[in-house]
Amino acid sequence: MKARLFAVARAIAFVILALALCGVIFEFAGYSAPEMFQSIADGAFLNPGAWQGSLRWALPLFITATGVIISFRSGYFNVGAQGQFYIGAVGTTFVVDFLNGYPAALVIPLCFIAGIAGGAIWALWPGLLRVRSGADEVITTLMGNFIAGLILIYVTGGILKDPSGTGQVMASRPVAPAYRISSESGLSPTIIGAAIVVGVVMWILVNRSAFGVLAGLAGRNPIMIVWQGARMSRLGLAGFMLGGGLAGLAGAMEVLGPNGRLVSGFLPTLGFTAILIALVAGLSISGAAIVSLFFGGLASASLYLPVLAGLPAAAIDIINAAIALFITARAAPGLGWLTARRRAVGGA
Amino acid sequence: MEEFVIATLRYGTPLVYVTLAGVLAQRAGVWNLGLEGLMIIGCCAAVLGLVQTGSLLFGLALAVALCVIASALLWFVIEKLRANPIIAGLGMTGLGLGGTDLAVQAIYGSQATVNAPYGLPRLGPAFGDFGVLSVLVAAMPFVVFAFWALLRRTRFGLQLAASGEHPFAARSVGVSPARMRLIALCLGGVLCALGGAELALGSLTIFAYGMTAGRGFMAFSAVIFGAGHPIASVAASLFFAIVGALGIRAQLVFGDRVPNDLLLALPYIATVIGIWISARLRGGAKAASAFGELRDY
Repeated sequence: MKARLFAVARAIAFVILALALCGVIFEFAGYSAPEMFQSIADGAFLNPGAWQGSLRWALPLFITATGVIISFRSGYFNVGAQGQFYIGAVGTTFVVDFLNGYPAALVIPLCFIAGIAGGAIWALWPGLLRVRSGADEVITTLMGNFIAGLILIYVTGGILKDPSGTGQVMASRPVAPAYRISSESGLSPTIIGAAIVVGVVMWILVNRSAFGVLAGLAGRNPIMIVWQGARMSRLGLAGFMLGGGLAGLAGAMEVLGPNGRLVSGFLPTLGFTAILIALVAGLSISGAAIVSLFFGGLASASLYLPVLAGLPAAAIDIINAAIALFITARAAPGLGWLTARRRAVGGA
Repeated sequence: MEEFVIATLRYGTPLVYVTLAGVLAQRAGVWNLGLEGLMIIGCCAAVLGLVQTGSLLFGLALAVALCVIASALLWFVIEKLRANPIIAGLGMTGLGLGGTDLAVQAIYGSQATVNAPYGLPRLGPAFGDFGVLSVLVAAMPFVVFAFWALLRRTRFGLQLAASGEHPFAARSVGVSPARMRLIALCLGGVLCALGGAELALGSLTIFAYGMTAGRGFMAFSAVIFGAGHPIASVAASLFFAIVGALGIRAQLVFGDRVPNDLLLALPYIATVIGIWISARLRGGAKAASAFGELRDY
């Protein structure tokens, strides 16, 4: 318990350090840092109705983050959540486009399955390259993000293109109202229910199942569990595909829910933010539920800033990036370099 | 053919400079995934410095200064705060992308591309068709040779490699691995600034948001592909450049039959294949990355 409290305190300390760095950058760019932070807090939480916006963004982020947690826990740096999210959304759009006219009770579940399958497939090939050949998964999943982004541009500009579109924004035909699972607000019983189900199932999987325990051990000490007879490659691949599938599920929900259609280059920072949530939460599912609200608030504020406060939305990207820079730090500032001279410096 | 060589050099030169930065960091024992962010900082600072003061030299100096500061920050976070280098590097990349976006909006009030009045000096008509290339392209072979000599033929290069491969051995002869990493990252910052300047001012003379488009990650992959050896890594990055140039060429030739967006994906696919080949040749990455450090309980 004490270790957990210490971890939470350290995470908060590094988030504050990151915010301080952001303040310096804002001042350097000629903005008033207090005004910027005030506007962000207004847009995220303080304004009336801001909570709905924050929750709307927190839900897809939470679902994607649980996927990141499972693949990180099983010891693989799957940083391709963005690409898996995109491919899931593409798969969903194909299904909803081809099955247009069939009853919603059939189409919506198939859309969810297509989303999960799309995300899982986009995680499968880096996973296979990793466990079969040892190809570094950080690079393959990053490259997968770029390729998925181009595939998204390709399908929204070609096969799935909305012929009545203006041509300025490449997008698919809008999803028929019968298949929408929420309005623009992104908050509906279906979406909230799905997020809760994902959260509970993943919590049980991580904390109360043999797979979760083995995956956790695999991440900490792969050599030991191989000696114990577990199959590292199978565990890793399962973690990869679960992570991809959940990112794809988030993509399916975005298409059927608040977005209502597939737009080229939509939500470009979702994957990165989900990775951040996983790390800030210390790879814990229950922690991710709380942390998602904070980052959902930031995502919501990035829409509020340019419109109502006249401040650039890039401020939110900078805050996220600065948190990423510091969040994995493990030394207590001030103590680190007291002992540094005695400690043999391990490989960085 | 000459056209193709020119396209390859245009695509490849920024990549080569940034790859050398990656080689320095890799040999010193740092996985530098911040290359992408450093490169875009270089692009942005060079263009904004040039546009704001009208002096190319000031733009380059600004790019070098900011990249070195950002590299030093990355070093501090990885070495002193003992952060995970992969996540910290991705954070630095995000900081570069967001920071350059913020800077452009702060100065011009919009997200439009910034046009520079002129670019880096060109080689000129004396070089025939190759005259359109910038001086940094011509300097590239010499820079590569200089870094090869520095890394493979000097005491400093050996100390750097020792800091990466066996920090304890480096310490035992009085070399501080932490300081060597700082030097490697800062020197890499200078190279990233040059690579970014070449990308933004070499043939285009513009800055656009996200214009590096994964080239920093490609350079990092080239380092892995080339096993951290300066010449091999540069060769790998030139291979990616050839694929990129082929993609551009294919757009002109088959533009109506093959979708452009899929041809644009060629360099990324080549990178994945490169990483795969290098894993097969060298037995692959280390066992599952030690993740205990990311978890606290």
